[in-house]
Amino acid sequence: MPPDPILEVKGLRVELSTRSGTVPVLDDLSFSIDAGETLAFVGESGCGKSMTALAVMGLVPHPIGRIASGSIRLAGEDLTRVPEKRMRAVRGNDVSMIFQEPMTALNPVYTAGEQIAESLRRHQDMGRRAAWEHAIEMLAAVGIPDPRGRASAYPHQMSGGQRQRVMIAMALACRPKVLIADEPTTALDVTVQAQIFELLKDLRRETGTALILITHDMGVVAEMAERMIVMYAGRKVEDGMVTDVIAEPKHPYTRGLISCVPHLAEVLTEERPDLTEVPGVVPPLTQFGRDMCLFSSRCPLADDKCWEERPPERRFGAGHVAACWHAEEVS
Amino acid sequence: MTDFATPVPPEIEQPRAPLAETTEMFLHNHAAVAGLIVLVLVVLAAIFGPSLYGVDPYEMVWAPFTPPGSEGYLLGTDYLGRDLLAGILAGARVSLTIGMAAAIMSVFIGITIGAVAGFFRGWVEEVLMRVTEFFQVLPTLLFSMVIVSLFGASLPVITVAIGLVSWTAVARITRAEFMRIRELEYVMAARASGAGNFKLIFRVVLPNALPPIIVQAALMVGTAILFEAGLSFLGLTDPNVVSWGQIIGSNRPYILDANYTVTLPGLAIFVTVLAISLVGDGLNDALNPRLRAR
Amino acid sequence: MTPPLLSVKDLTVRFKVRGAAPFREAAYLTAVDGVTFDVARGESLGIVGESGSGKSTTALAIARLITHHSGEVRLDGEDLLALKGGDLRRARRKFQFIFQDPYSSLNPRRRAAEIVTEPLASIGLVPKGDRRKLVDDLFEAVGLRPEQQNLFPHQFSGGQRQRIGIARALAPNPALVICDEAVSALDVAVQAQILNLLRRLQRERGLTYLFISHDLGVVQHMCDRIAVMYMGKIVEFADRLSLFNSPLHPYTCALLSAVPSVDPDRRARTKRILITGEPPSPTSPPPGCRFASRCPVAEPRCKTEPPPLREVREGHRVACHLVGDDARAPV
Repeated sequence: MPPDPILEVKGLRVELSTRSGTVPVLDDLSFSIDAGETLAFVGESGCGKSMTALAVMGLVPHPIGRIASGSIRLAGEDLTRVPEKRMRAVRGNDVSMIFQEPMTALNPVYTAGEQIAESLRRHQDMGRRAAWEHAIEMLAAVGIPDPRGRASAYPHQMSGGQRQRVMIAMALACRPKVLIADEPTTALDVTVQAQIFELLKDLRRETGTALILITHDMGVVAEMAERMIVMYAGRKVEDGMVTDVIAEPKHPYTRGLISCVPHLAEVLTEERPDLTEVPGVVPPLTQFGRDMCLFSSRCPLADDKCWEERPPERRFGAGHVAACWHAEEVS
Repeated sequence: MTDFATPVPPEIEQPRAPLAETTEMFLHNHAAVAGLIVLVLVVLAAIFGPSLYGVDPYEMVWAPFTPPGSEGYLLGTDYLGRDLLAGILAGARVSLTIGMAAAIMSVFIGITIGAVAGFFRGWVEEVLMRVTEFFQVLPTLLFSMVIVSLFGASLPVITVAIGLVSWTAVARITRAEFMRIRELEYVMAARASGAGNFKLIFRVVLPNALPPIIVQAALMVGTAILFEAGLSFLGLTDPNVVSWGQIIGSNRPYILDANYTVTLPGLAIFVTVLAISLVGDGLNDALNPRLRAR
Repeated sequence: MTPPLLSVKDLTVRFKVRGAAPFREAAYLTAVDGVTFDVARGESLGIVGESGSGKSTTALAIARLITHHSGEVRLDGEDLLALKGGDLRRARRKFQFIFQDPYSSLNPRRRAAEIVTEPLASIGLVPKGDRRKLVDDLFEAVGLRPEQQNLFPHQFSGGQRQRIGIARALAPNPALVICDEAVSALDVAVQAQILNLLRRLQRERGLTYLFISHDLGVVQHMCDRIAVMYMGKIVEFADRLSLFNSPLHPYTCALLSAVPSVDPDRRARTKRILITGEPPSPTSPPPGCRFASRCPVAEPRCKTEPPPLREVREGHRVACHLVGDDARAPV
């Protein structure tokens, strides 16, 4: 029997109350991730990628949002049922997160070293000295030159790449079981992005941390992750091994996301056909939760059934799941 | 899939002017609506009150210090036997007029200086902001007392004196808004479209900078009324024109014997300024797009 | 040969660095340092680079939206940098700008139709009566519905707002359109819609694009010739196929290798060239090649002698000491 997954989410439904009623921003979401694995979440903005991260962190915006049903099991413990006090101990210790904008996610009035040490003292009961020394080790581990000196630097004295490294050092200081990276390199240049990804790969290998990577970039998914989940309008539309999904997507949305981006091919040719378009935009929140395929309005394959009934998740080979009535016609 | 047109969204939004939305936001704020009702009543009283009531506020009509309610004089009489209600109604005109005129004047000065400073930056800004700071650190009451004693205590002079000492806040707000907005891309886009500086300032930046200025202007009417009351209280006012502050000032010596002669006009000032503040606050919320977006 | 539409010669832009102590000479940051290139009528010229490369500053200086230091910019023979006041405003109809952020680039207090006609109203080009017809045509050209003309910007989605921005740029019938990161703020699916739209408009109207982007995939798709900038200088300049299939400058090679790709062949075959460290301070750039401190193959002379931009192949210019006359990449 395979070992239990480190994080297992089942039937998660997160509701948001808006002016026009309660809407599910996450609708019956299930997934799991093993230690040392990288799972990527892709989709456009407003599809529920970041909300998934917030739900796992126990940070669903209060009071407009709430977890309506489902479970989030971290090493067997259901995080939807623990009191806030326990959640505070989990956050930053067992599960931690790095954000898109390292400038605003770091506190500008504390030095890099202080911010890392603070988390260690809170969660790991370390003394002031020990925490500071460990913070310096962490900075060295994330590849910051002269870590002892940079530990006393404030966020604004660092470059974007260095700040993101500090964020990673902070997130990994307590050796979390799960690290969530929400668009960690979107604000960074590609050469720096490449450095950060190398770093994340190395650290994952060394620490066995499971990595949840939220991104909109299929290239990043292909480079970094083993498994991927495609989200659309709060629902999981496709789930599978990255190589399978990219080679043979089973949902038209996934296919659209892959082919609408002008990729760098191995060898470029004179040929430059128009990009495949996914017309339109993600439906407004008010339509979330309807009993239909929410992608219908943008889908070239949509027929009456798609507009009338939500497609169930169907299996296609090992671990490849897609929720589409016309999955066979997609690739 | 190569169709470029955007599919029709299920519900076509009706074009709604920002004004309609602002009004809706404002009407949701009960305190602001209450303030507005009170304010409208005060203004109506100021416009129609004196002629409807028909008593000359300058004439001695009865024995001095007749308490409110007696002998048909609703609010009683003051130390000279003048009808207090007639005085408060007539004073409302003067106080509101001075308040509005001073506020308009300071908004005009403040916007001009703030807009030019915030838009052009550089040495222009340096000079204008030093001027602004000069007016800001002036002891306002003292300065207006000097003006009034130099040019005589007529209503226009008092209005100008109040206007001159209270425009600095508007200038600072306008400058801050201009500095923020001029960096936004739509201003650069207007420039790229060939708009000149005049158009950029008045047609592009200013309309977007107005919300906080409107709020400040509303609050300034209240401040100006208070200021006028302060000057009148000190006797620096046209003794021949009745205003709320003037009533308080002239009845001051008798505050222990007939406190209502001071309390009642004071109450009028309090209620009016409070109403204006509530309206200003409501405007602030209603004009704030971040609150509106929710 | 027909003369180029746009010809930029030795363009230099510098900013005064604030906070210089009194009585000390003011420090300058040279954001664009002697940039020279031509854009032919009807082509798309791309400028790529990372943050701080000066690509956007170049675009803004050409469009006379920021103050230049020296140089010459000729559009159709007319020296744009010499124009002032009313002459400049009248000349603006020939070059228009598409901005990055569809949220801040539209005046929130103007209706869509007013925004689109803004350039006409400012320049006084088209009589008021004829503007209606023009707005109708422009709305149709960019894929917006006529009944949307009276809406305010906040009633549009990001992609639609960018369409309004494009319609505004096209209104005075310009010869040159400068796109500064025009799709960077959009979701991938919407990005494809806008890129296709831009290409269609170019075909239909014979537009010339100066296309600024940090996204190599997008530039590859959109541009005929590409300039790569690093710290204010052009380091490599070539046509599309030559640049992407046989890059010469070590920086270009590193940049290309850093782009994550969904193409398994490309991933397998590209060896990632990780560049380490940070770019040197832009206020005191090194005397030699600006990339020398991070270059994997730098030689001693790279640190002292600035490499000139020279043609090593037909239409392929590069500024690197290590690229010989045989035009082989040093890395």
